[in-house]
Amino acid sequence: MKSRKGWTLTALLLMTVLVLSACGSKTTDNGSSNGAQANNELEQIKSAGVIKVGMMGTYAPYNFLNDKKEMDGYDADIAREVAKRLGVKVEFVSQEFSGLTPSLQAKKLDAIISQMTITDDRKKVLDFSDPYITNQVKIIVKEDNNDITKLEDFKGKTIGVGLGTNDESYLRNEVLPKVGDFTIKTYDDVISSLKDLNAGRIDATINNMYALKPIVDANGFNIKAVGEPIKSDQAGIAVRKDNPELVAALNDALKGMKDDGTYNTIFKKWFGEEPAQ
Amino acid sequence: MELVFENIPFFLKGAYYTLYVTVISMFFAFIIGLLVAIARLKGPMWLRMIARFYVSIMRGTPLLVQLFVIYYGLVDYGVTLGSLTAACLGLSLNAGAFLSETFRGAIQAVPKGQTEAAYATGMTPAQTMRRIIFPQAVRIAIPPMGNTFIGMLKETSLVAALGVTELLRSAQLLVAQYYVNMPFYLAIGVIYWIMSIGFSAILEQVERRLARAY
Repeated sequence: MKSRKGWTLTALLLMTVLVLSACGSKTTDNGSSNGAQANNELEQIKSAGVIKVGMMGTYAPYNFLNDKKEMDGYDADIAREVAKRLGVKVEFVSQEFSGLTPSLQAKKLDAIISQMTITDDRKKVLDFSDPYITNQVKIIVKEDNNDITKLEDFKGKTIGVGLGTNDESYLRNEVLPKVGDFTIKTYDDVISSLKDLNAGRIDATINNMYALKPIVDANGFNIKAVGEPIKSDQAGIAVRKDNPELVAALNDALKGMKDDGTYNTIFKKWFGEEPAQ
Repeated sequence: MELVFENIPFFLKGAYYTLYVTVISMFFAFIIGLLVAIARLKGPMWLRMIARFYVSIMRGTPLLVQLFVIYYGLVDYGVTLGSLTAACLGLSLNAGAFLSETFRGAIQAVPKGQTEAAYATGMTPAQTMRRIIFPQAVRIAIPPMGNTFIGMLKETSLVAALGVTELLRSAQLLVAQYYVNMPFYLAIGVIYWIMSIGFSAILEQVERRLARAY
């Protein structure tokens, strides 16, 4: 009886210590997000000394985990450069694309730099910086597929697209009514949609060429882009609404990068070509 | 397979978060489960109703929905929790409901004669509970409790949706880095499995210790 009591006590103590230590780390984890109530969010970010940037982390060459297990890619470089110009450190949070906007609104993030296309719908709930990239979107099919070359051919087929992406709402709201019935299958990242395309579980997907190249190179996928670009998108840095100081600061940083050539360097590093004017 | 070995440190970091969330949630789930079980068995009518309502909601809705309510939903009411805090809170509340049913069943499984005998020796209801009923109930509760805990270990994978880079999310990130699926998903499968074996072993030890009194 006695020994058992002693054991229970030890276990309880151990648990308490664990929980207390956990609580300790939890408060710091909250502390940075609540912080002192500075005048505006730009001030808050500056006083915290860190900007929390959300990105998918599964979208090479835009944002992905590199060999050193750090976030890397075009978006990550832009984020680092912007943070440098704001005089703060950058902290990356990797999350599925569909979760990024809710996280931003829930103040878990300060900004999203994850190829978020600037659209009117999104502008209702988010504010955007000036665009930092223009992407051309094409139809992607299997190598041996010659049935699909344009949007009209989607009728009756299964088309894969990223969940919560601008491409998804484009397919649903513009293409679907125009072309007629086809099935839309949604994915949390680009790789699984391309794997499914390669495996024949979907007939086509739409995406931009920069995003496809590394995946195709690494996998030897038998897929190809067909037809003319169906649209071109501009992505910006997304922040919470009514945050003019932060947007202005981001725009200044982007403009500074473009002026002194840093932007071109980053662009060439990842895409091997000069940015389109 | 080589890729997996190269990335073991990264997986371990993911496993750390998985374990962290599991252990903390277990602790609180245990307390919640015990309190709710006692409330349902011994509490006044209104408390029983509340406890029943709580168990019904937690068992009747998906954990992922509960996590979203806590993480994304509460913000609208001014409660902003960090992802880890929200994850622990959600899992504790959820598993607590399941555990309360385990405990309730275990307490009820102790024969009534035990209570009567304890009363006959002059023990108070509280003493009876502590000295006679609980020690027996705990033994009965351990196997199903193990089920809940191991279930919870695996359900932590839902926390990836709240932006915590736990095991599942680490695998997803690595898949995106190397463009191969199988080795990484197999690897985290094995890590989950090893962790659940660990938990089973601990529970078995506890069971053995508790059986010693007999």
